[in-house]
Amino acid sequence: MSRIKDLQKNLFGGTTSNARQFGMIFTLVAIVVLFQILTDGLTLRSDNLIALFQQNSYILILAIGMLMVIVAGHIDLSVGSVAAFAGILVAKSMADWSLPWPVAILFGLAIGAIIGAWQGFWVAYIGVPAFIVTLAGMLLFRGGNQYIGNANTIPVPEGFREIGSGFLPEFGPNTGYNNATLLLGLAAAVAVVWREIQARKTRRAMDADPAPMWISILRMAIMVGVIAFAALRFASGRVGTSFPISGIILLVLVIAYSFYTRNTAGGRHIYAVGGNSRAAELSGVKLKRVNFFVMMNMSVLAALAGMIFVARSAASGPQDGNGWELDAIAAVFIGGAAVSGGIGTISGSIVGGLVMAVLNNGLQLMGVGTDRVQIIKGLVLLLAVAIDVYNKSQGRFSIIGSLMRPFRRDDSAPPASPPDAEREPAKAAVSG
Amino acid sequence: MRKFFGTSVVAVSAAAMLALAGCGSGRDGDSDSGGEAAKGFAANSLIGVALPAKTSENWVLAGDLFTNGLKEAGFQADVQYAGASTTVADQQAQITAMTTKGAKVIVIGATDAAQLSTQVAAAHAAGAKVIAYDRLITNTPDLDYYVAFDNFKVGQLQGQALLDGMKAKKPNGPYNIELFSGSPDDNNAGVFFNGAMDVLKPEIDKGNVVVASGQKDVKQTAIQGWKAEGAQARMDQLLTSTYGNKELDGVLSPNDTLARAILTSVKGAGKPIPVVTGQDSEVESVKSIVAGEQYMTINKDTRNLVKETINMVKALQAGDKPQVNDTESYNNGSKVVDTFLLPPVAVTKANAAEAYANDPKLAPLTK
Repeated sequence: MSRIKDLQKNLFGGTTSNARQFGMIFTLVAIVVLFQILTDGLTLRSDNLIALFQQNSYILILAIGMLMVIVAGHIDLSVGSVAAFAGILVAKSMADWSLPWPVAILFGLAIGAIIGAWQGFWVAYIGVPAFIVTLAGMLLFRGGNQYIGNANTIPVPEGFREIGSGFLPEFGPNTGYNNATLLLGLAAAVAVVWREIQARKTRRAMDADPAPMWISILRMAIMVGVIAFAALRFASGRVGTSFPISGIILLVLVIAYSFYTRNTAGGRHIYAVGGNSRAAELSGVKLKRVNFFVMMNMSVLAALAGMIFVARSAASGPQDGNGWELDAIAAVFIGGAAVSGGIGTISGSIVGGLVMAVLNNGLQLMGVGTDRVQIIKGLVLLLAVAIDVYNKSQGRFSIIGSLMRPFRRDDSAPPASPPDAEREPAKAAVSG
Repeated sequence: MRKFFGTSVVAVSAAAMLALAGCGSGRDGDSDSGGEAAKGFAANSLIGVALPAKTSENWVLAGDLFTNGLKEAGFQADVQYAGASTTVADQQAQITAMTTKGAKVIVIGATDAAQLSTQVAAAHAAGAKVIAYDRLITNTPDLDYYVAFDNFKVGQLQGQALLDGMKAKKPNGPYNIELFSGSPDDNNAGVFFNGAMDVLKPEIDKGNVVVASGQKDVKQTAIQGWKAEGAQARMDQLLTSTYGNKELDGVLSPNDTLARAILTSVKGAGKPIPVVTGQDSEVESVKSIVAGEQYMTINKDTRNLVKETINMVKALQAGDKPQVNDTESYNNGSKVVDTFLLPPVAVTKANAAEAYANDPKLAPLTK
């Protein structure tokens, strides 16, 4: 029993709120294995994995921003429209003013920042609920997209397409793999091991109990195994394809934002505001600034997602961004965020997004039509959140958590409250 | 610490080895993309068909015909529709999934003609032939064939029928008309409109036909996404703004779905029914034509189009060059695409029985 307890407590981060995240990772693995069998091995084939990342990177990028918005207790319905609006402006800027594409990307991010400042202003300083502000934004920027583009499809130049459909370059000796992807995998593996050693050192220096040795090793072995597997898969695609550029952008963002939300004061303030905004304000959190920041940040990420989609589609069209907000919100909630705010992690949202992505992809590979795919995705979203809500109302967090109840009696603090999470920094972002 | 480090190195490398072993070795190379040599492919290969959202009966019918026709020809068929709201992204994912599954030919009815080049390129690189069905895919050098009805001709037939219909009702002009066109992201919408204007423009210039609202530009007449509610809303607005005390004689509508929406709007406003054109021979519109409401539609028999497409697939399977009849007019921005064009037929109440004689679904409606 104590070994199981150790495993549960330590394998993927410490607190009980992580039990749910653990459950989601488990679900993801189960879905991948299920489809791997059902599609005769197509799911984990390198070309499919590459396509899966390319197709979903923009939704996952949105999920990062959406997680922060939802944790702060808001919602953003405008992301699809903002993405489309930024996309058409960027496409136009390159077609009509012949901006070089790197400048156009900066221009797109600036548009995102301006739109975000607009929405953040209404939410934070005027106090209009984010639901209303972004509902208005959804109409406003969708209309803007149609107005500017005349509802036409506008192609973008080759260089720009790289951010959506490009791959790591080929170089070096012919190893039968893409060398750049192998190096990336190696770097990731080294980082995981180094992090684990650092974490143990820190805990020892703080006189805390480090996780049992065998757990550390097991965790590292699993992570390195997954990384090695993924790196080899991504490196062995058709010549010319490898780990997608959009995947790199996603990875960088996941790592940066995970660090920000977990390890910095600014990031913890978002949780504090979402948990109890009055209390947070009284303890010195600048409420308005936090709200302004999360809304603005969301629009910048939406602009980025829009540009990546345009790059991948080789053109900006009038239907870009339709329904994206729903995919992003679904990813965040499946990933364990609370509807009332204050709870949720970046890595959880990414896992939630991947669950939806793999489900979508697997069903498509099986030739299930979009009508049924939508039905299934809807049910999965409802079930995932329902199980969570039900378990909470029963005073336990998950089936695994319920097994642990006898050992939790001394946990007097509410399990997932921000200060608790801060005291005990979670140790591993599993999917980041 | 030392011991920890040692054990962990062993465990980690063991995990890495395990992952490596599960991976097979290296790249598949390009053994698959040797299809250029016109060798054909196995007779039971997978053929992918990616169609737009099920917003019109025609696409549903086409999907059924592809499923059955390809099966009859001995292929495995994977027929997919895009979702209702996330159309472009869905279709991109579907085409990629078909490529992954190793489809030898991918037939695409594009939702957005210009946003599929990445996926078409990937399919082509994997050795699949790509056929654009009904809608030309633009901005890609990797499209192999295009099969469609002659859409400029469709527009001309619509324009001519509109003039004929109005003349039959009221021998002398000037006639007041309004113009509608299809979704601007559909490459065909502009072609229909230009075809119709090819016939109508001389009459408009003569003053014999008047676009009373003044909205003659394709940007003003376009209905995004071919949505019925869009056409109905635009017609409602035109009726209030322009036809308070004027008579509306005719409406150029690019397809049946929009034509019925326009008729609904006119009837709702309590105005006399104008001559309205259409296209696609949808069941409700054929009923409407027989009942004397909608004036005309175009019969682009989906059966023939699907049959022609499947013939192309069969030719590719045998390693032959598929039959085409136009190698000049369809430039998609990157290359001139080899095209097979089928002739459309205009249908009014007068020739409906004859035109639909072979159609099991529509023939009973005309009796």
